Amino acid sequence: MSFIKSTAFKYIPVIVFAVIIADYFFAIASLGSLAEILRQFAVVISNIALGLGVISLLRIHGKNVQRRLEGRWQYSIVTVVTFVTVFILGIINANGDQYTWAFNHVYTTLQQTMYASTGFFIVSSAYRAFRARNIDAALLLIAGCIVVFTNAPIGEVIWSGFPVIGDWLLGPGQLPGYRVLMLIAGFGTIVYAYRVITGNERGFFGGGE
Amino acid sequence: MILKEGRIVAFVLLFGSFVLYYMFTKMIQQGKAFKIRTLAALEALPEAVGRCAEMGKPIFYMPGIGSSLSLSSGAYILAGITILGRLAGFAAKAGVKLRLFTVTIDAMPLIQETIKNAYAIEGKVEEYSDDDIELIANQSSLVSRYIGAVQREQPAAACLIGYLAYESVVLSEAGNIIGAMQISGTVNLYQIPFLVASTDYTLIMEELFAAAAAVSGDAGAVGPIAAEDVIKFVSLGIMILGIVLAPLGITFLVDLLGL
Repeated sequence: MSFIKSTAFKYIPVIVFAVIIADYFFAIASLGSLAEILRQFAVVISNIALGLGVISLLRIHGKNVQRRLEGRWQYSIVTVVTFVTVFILGIINANGDQYTWAFNHVYTTLQQTMYASTGFFIVSSAYRAFRARNIDAALLLIAGCIVVFTNAPIGEVIWSGFPVIGDWLLGPGQLPGYRVLMLIAGFGTIVYAYRVITGNERGFFGGGE
Repeated sequence: MILKEGRIVAFVLLFGSFVLYYMFTKMIQQGKAFKIRTLAALEALPEAVGRCAEMGKPIFYMPGIGSSLSLSSGAYILAGITILGRLAGFAAKAGVKLRLFTVTIDAMPLIQETIKNAYAIEGKVEEYSDDDIELIANQSSLVSRYIGAVQREQPAAACLIGYLAYESVVLSEAGNIIGAMQISGTVNLYQIPFLVASTDYTLIMEELFAAAAAVSGDAGAVGPIAAEDVIKFVSLGIMILGIVLAPLGITFLVDLLGL
């Protein structure tokens, strides 16, 4: 285990990174084949991780049921039964009516219900953000109101200028800032990748040392 | 031509960046000091744990959604887990219960190992429990589970750090309603306004990675962050040059970058 932590974790990412990055920049046929094999490895590893995740899910929830963990074990039964049922339906026929029904009428419905609740939380969040406590918050409040009136049909009826100003705010008004932040996030990602591949980012390998 | 067409400048810039990262790391190893500016969100971690200790309540952590193996979310989740390691250390030291909620099925072993290791470093491995880490089937289930847990367990503090999507506003508002101190961080730009509005401290965009580096604290982690500032200035210079040259009809820079 210590060999894996100290050596393999440090050098495997470096080798994989070197091959993949070299394939991106250089037109060398043999390198391309090697990179393709590594990409297939990634797919296989992802699926193994998913399998491990399933085992982990069943183990954790199975343990909850076995130990009658207070406030959780009932839900764990629902999780395990649902998992097994949908898994069996999918194995029998992934395009079958039962599997499709379970997905469309149970999963999607529940998912959309939770998603719909977001609107209420956005309103309370916006209320907090839009209190004009200082000049910055006041500007945010004004911009927010204009965008609200841009999107609400009544806005254009009140004043035809709302959509014009609102569209400017949503386009040239915010895009430069948005793109700068995306660019900087890109730099951050490259730095993080560098730290990972050189073995300097080890915090998530179990605490560091 | 061995280099693929259209990727020559990109290669030079990337390679140049790596050389800079290496040079700055070496400079730090040779004694040159570069300090990562204080990140309020990172500084607030012990405060959040202290608040929980005083109130005798747990601290919640959510390292984001998605997959740790995914190109779009992996790096952010891993950065979040690095910060989790630091938080778990503080929680173990103060005897505060750390409760974690995740949908990231493939990162479960990593999360468990990170927290367990932090407890072990503090000599309190017996206080670690798998029961405090909840693996939830998907994003919407996580939202309902987290809201319920917040209402029932009333945590004194919560951290939402990693790759966050629509759940950010719901979870942060849920914490806000009960008056929990909240620390957040994500690279998903669309979620940052919600986090800024609803949480006390926010790691914005690359601050998430800088925080992960600051947690590590060693030369190999801090050096590249210091070098990144040089790259930012170079990029800014290229952009200003482009702004000046484009109206004059000079396409030299655009042509060069397109090589």
